[in-house]
Amino acid sequence: MITIRRLNKRFQRGEQTVYALNEVNLTVNQGEFFVLLGPSGSGKTTLLRCVAGLEKPDAGEVIIGERAVYSDKQGRFVPAEERGLGMVFQSYAIWPHLNVFQNVALPLMKGEAKLPKAQLAQRVDEALRLLQMDTMRDSPATLLSGGQQQRVALARALALNPKVLLMDEPLSNLDARLREEVRTEVWDVVKQLGITALYVTHDQVEAMALADRIAVMSEGSVLQVGPPLELYRRPKSRTVAEFFGSMNWLEGKVGPGGEVQTEIGPLEAELEGNAGGEMILGVRFEDVQIMDGTARGANQVEGQISRRVFLGDSILYEVIVGRKKLCAKTSADLNWQGRVGLQLPKEKLVVFPR
Amino acid sequence: MMNGTTISQPRWPIRLDARPFLIAISGVVVLILTALLLGVILMSFRAPPAGGGHYTLNGYRDVFQDPFTYKVFLNTALFSIMTVAVALFVAVPLAWVVERTDLPGKSLVYVLMSLGVLMPGFLTAMGWTFIAHPRIGLLNTLLMDLFGFERGPINIGTIPGMAFVQGLGLAAVSFILVAPLYRAMDGSLEEAGAVHGMRIVRRLWSITVPLTLPGIVAASIYILILAMSAFEVPAFLGLANKIFTFSTYIYIQANPHEELPRYDMMGATSMLMIFVALLLTWGYFRILKASHHRYAVVTGRGYRPKLFELGSRWLWVWCFIGLYFLLAKILPLLLLVYISLVPYPQPFSLASFSEFSLEHYRLFLGSKLARQAALNTGLLVVVVPTVCVTISFILSWIVIRSRVAGSYLFDVAAFLPHAVPSIIFAVAAAYVALFYLKDLLPLYGTIVLLMAVYTLVYISLATRGFNGALLQIHRELEEAAQVSGLRTGRVILSILVPLLAPAIVNLWLWIALLSFRELTMASMLVKSGNVTLPMVVWGYWSGGQMSGAAAAALVSIALMVPLIILYWLFGRRVQAVSVAP
Repeated sequence: MITIRRLNKRFQRGEQTVYALNEVNLTVNQGEFFVLLGPSGSGKTTLLRCVAGLEKPDAGEVIIGERAVYSDKQGRFVPAEERGLGMVFQSYAIWPHLNVFQNVALPLMKGEAKLPKAQLAQRVDEALRLLQMDTMRDSPATLLSGGQQQRVALARALALNPKVLLMDEPLSNLDARLREEVRTEVWDVVKQLGITALYVTHDQVEAMALADRIAVMSEGSVLQVGPPLELYRRPKSRTVAEFFGSMNWLEGKVGPGGEVQTEIGPLEAELEGNAGGEMILGVRFEDVQIMDGTARGANQVEGQISRRVFLGDSILYEVIVGRKKLCAKTSADLNWQGRVGLQLPKEKLVVFPR
Repeated sequence: MMNGTTISQPRWPIRLDARPFLIAISGVVVLILTALLLGVILMSFRAPPAGGGHYTLNGYRDVFQDPFTYKVFLNTALFSIMTVAVALFVAVPLAWVVERTDLPGKSLVYVLMSLGVLMPGFLTAMGWTFIAHPRIGLLNTLLMDLFGFERGPINIGTIPGMAFVQGLGLAAVSFILVAPLYRAMDGSLEEAGAVHGMRIVRRLWSITVPLTLPGIVAASIYILILAMSAFEVPAFLGLANKIFTFSTYIYIQANPHEELPRYDMMGATSMLMIFVALLLTWGYFRILKASHHRYAVVTGRGYRPKLFELGSRWLWVWCFIGLYFLLAKILPLLLLVYISLVPYPQPFSLASFSEFSLEHYRLFLGSKLARQAALNTGLLVVVVPTVCVTISFILSWIVIRSRVAGSYLFDVAAFLPHAVPSIIFAVAAAYVALFYLKDLLPLYGTIVLLMAVYTLVYISLATRGFNGALLQIHRELEEAAQVSGLRTGRVILSILVPLLAPAIVNLWLWIALLSFRELTMASMLVKSGNVTLPMVVWGYWSGGQMSGAAAAALVSIALMVPLIILYWLFGRRVQAVSVAP
């Protein structure tokens, strides 16, 4: 549905040239919920704005459906108002001088997708009903709460019947509890209508909860694309791995028996392509298991608990193993003290060449 | 679920985009502004006959070899510095008191100060003539009677006298510039001083003053530029006494008694004035920029600090405020009323009261000149703000939002009339209209020329206002409209114009009021056919008919009242964004 080829975008910051997008390639399939994930300054918002037509790239191609909306070779740039998209902004961008109904209706009255008067009210009401905002139809925009503004913004975008819906950190201005509620609603609505969604966020939990596929971005490049579970379990780089949660990192070398000799002893790992040489092993805090104080089998080590941090739903233990400090997260029900054993499951270790 | 086409077919076979059109309008305006400045340069290098002569440095030679030029320069410098001193003496304490203490009736101070900006300088100058003119000033005649002086001991027609009157007027502008400094300053910085044992005077001296000093210095330079290019007060008070500052010097160069005007000398004098003004403007921006990191400290979070409790001292503060308004506005106005009612300027006496008549009003109101001036002024008040606000809105939008390459150059050009004294723009416009456009477009002596020059000069003011207002509007509000299919023109009409309506109304009314009272530019551009009300006042005054001038001035002010009431009702909600030159 959306194809992005070799897209480049530079910004001039005083003397410095910043590469906001550097040779970005992506394909978003029809009906897919696709999330762009990355820290601030990674280029994810710039990419979304290039798709929207709010930013003009320097080189490359953007194709929406069958239509090239940007192409440097053809010298083509379709302005935002002619791309027929729906978009939800970080600030919601609810027009403060209009009421709820007028906010949804304005694009249908004055925009490219102009509707005859007779259909207008019906279409607006349908969209408001979909987002359960039909009861607030005549409220002034300035009296809406954050969550309600969010719903109106979504209704406004969806009333246009777009094939593609763009969302720029739409939940970041909501408080934590409301965020989860609206998140579910967004997903339900998008899936119910079967539209293609491109969604920008810096929150990995949000990304994993929503996405069919995620593209992890950093410094203007796409590091990895895949379904959430794949990115979580099979990251292709340390940066991607760390983006989905805290990791213990161990340096090591492949020994004669295929095991990896590390700072805390030999560990078995799935080496795949990484045979031989120096490497680095990672294991997530929540994947390290704590046991009784003796190490009995493969991939088990012993250590002394140096700190316990109560986090509510879990407890984080810092354990000194030899000269190395490892972290393990367990269910809050278990309360360990003193010397413990740690299990680093083979299938949960990720391995990168050093 | 929703039926219907996603995108309708284009309604027009040819797509009309507003952008190129808007950019073209801005470009034309910027070109005219630049051309006017180039006109000054051209003027300074062309030997007489004006517009036809060869290129020469004679103008510069004659200006810079003439010791009188240096006298004018010195006069202007002294006048400007003293003006700043008077203005700050009133404005800084008043700003602090209003923003930082529990003074009762603060909002009234704000209202009075913003309205004070609107009172034409020539009105105060005329009033003060009747108070402190060495021969006819009532204060002087009183002193002569009391102490037997031969001549009045006080002369308002001197540099300190003019600076006093000008400073009283610009105090209102200074207040509007300085008050936000104290409002923005984080009160906890002062409170920290109090908690650690510093008394109020110590606190003011070692915390408040140093923190706001860059802002006050910047405001001083701004006032200095206004004083340097001021025309009304030096014209009404100084010309009769043969004391000149830059503006009045250019004025007499343009209106010599015998020979033809020396345009090359006027050009050279203007270039000197532009040079000084640009230097000061550069200094102004340097200081603003340098103090930016300090502003970062100064700007606190949203919480309001505890206000200093004045206790019974509020009475003293109000006495100070009252004295200021008495001297700056009330006394001069009352004197004008008195003088307009008596046959000729004379001290108060039973005889003078018995001679009260409306003769001067009858003469003025009955004259053809007055009707013509009122009509012209009315035209200016409607056309200038309308055109100026429209163009400025477009220019600001291009500069702030369009991201057209090089659009900041538009902003620089739009700011030019702020830095270059308005009298010079008027001189340049007169010169260009008289010698370059006269066959093509005979504008000289028409009301259209006044409209054009006022509009161009006020663009610098209105664009400051719109730039600020546009920056307050989240860009995503426009982008949301664009993505949902609205073209540029419709985004502007459906989203921006309604959101900016308060700023539009405010600026329209403000510029209408300025156009009404404008005299500086008019003094260079008005011939008989395009006379305005303030020019009629000036005509009476410079012709020695002081009582007639007083009556005409009061009638003009009365005609301004409806506009002031409108401004009070609709414009005040937005703080006066910028201040008149």
